[in-house]
Amino acid sequence: MKVKVVRRILEANEKIAEENRKLFEEKEIIAINLMSGPGAGKTSLLVRTIEALKDKVSIGVIEGDITGTDDAERINALDVPVVQINTEGACHLDADMIREALDEIPLNDISLLFIENVGNLVCPAEFNVGENMKAMVLSISEGDDKPLKYPLMFQESGVLIINKTDLLPYTDVDMEKIKKNALSLNPGLRIFEISCRTGTGLPDWTNYLTTMLAI
Amino acid sequence: MHEVSIAQSILDIAITECRKADYKRINSISLRIGKVSGIKIQSLLFAFDIIKIDTIAQGAALICEEVPVVGYCPECHDNFEVVSELILACPECGGARFSINGGRELDIVEIDVD
Repeated sequence: MKVKVVRRILEANEKIAEENRKLFEEKEIIAINLMSGPGAGKTSLLVRTIEALKDKVSIGVIEGDITGTDDAERINALDVPVVQINTEGACHLDADMIREALDEIPLNDISLLFIENVGNLVCPAEFNVGENMKAMVLSISEGDDKPLKYPLMFQESGVLIINKTDLLPYTDVDMEKIKKNALSLNPGLRIFEISCRTGTGLPDWTNYLTTMLAI
Repeated sequence: MHEVSIAQSILDIAITECRKADYKRINSISLRIGKVSGIKIQSLLFAFDIIKIDTIAQGAALICEEVPVVGYCPECHDNFEVVSELILACPECGGARFSINGGRELDIVEIDVD
């Protein structure tokens, strides 16, 4: 006996993601799902962004890591609300983990929420958590072939932040090739070239955020 | 990378649907798996064979249909399929303004039950 089912295997996640999305809308929060491979500079970008914007925007952060609280401690030092999620082995954040973490964030007091995903160029791109936008970080030292090796994240992201541009003179990496490969996968991708260490290019990114938040 | 949790979701959905239709045993589950869904069918089958033990799907096989990557090009108004896992340009006109419309499916289509 055949029974037609026609159901999305990830529908449980999608349903919770939709609930999160509605909650963000109700609370007038822009939520950004920040993704990258390990060590590309997600937390450094958050620290720099919070330092630049915290007088203008109230920001909250959810930190996703397999284990440990180092990232949350770095954010906590900036005096913004932060929740650490430890996935205990899981390779990505899912919508249910975010729903739980949201209980700990003062949603009435923030207008911008960063969700820092687990460092991984593959799985985080496959799971919506209810975010308004996915943004990804690629660092110069990872190489210009990464867009074509990990296409999904580049296709899913609205923004690509190329970090550690101060390392360019010490590598054989071709910046134009990174951009060309990324845009060939996602022609609408918005690209920022920055160095969190020197601060170069950061105002372009923070101006983009303030424009998006209409402040 | 997370085939075990995907296999568990498939098993949960199939068992729920089987019981809802008042049947006792699952013989097979038919799936549509997109080529860029991030799921390796071989790993999924391996995971499913382990987690199905001692459930009403113990004897069940997964039947996987792989869905190719499909794009649409607004410049030449063409729908196209690619053999590779990537679309880098419209194969017809070489244009870069394509959209990707298929290849990320992860769906249960049908279950066979007794």
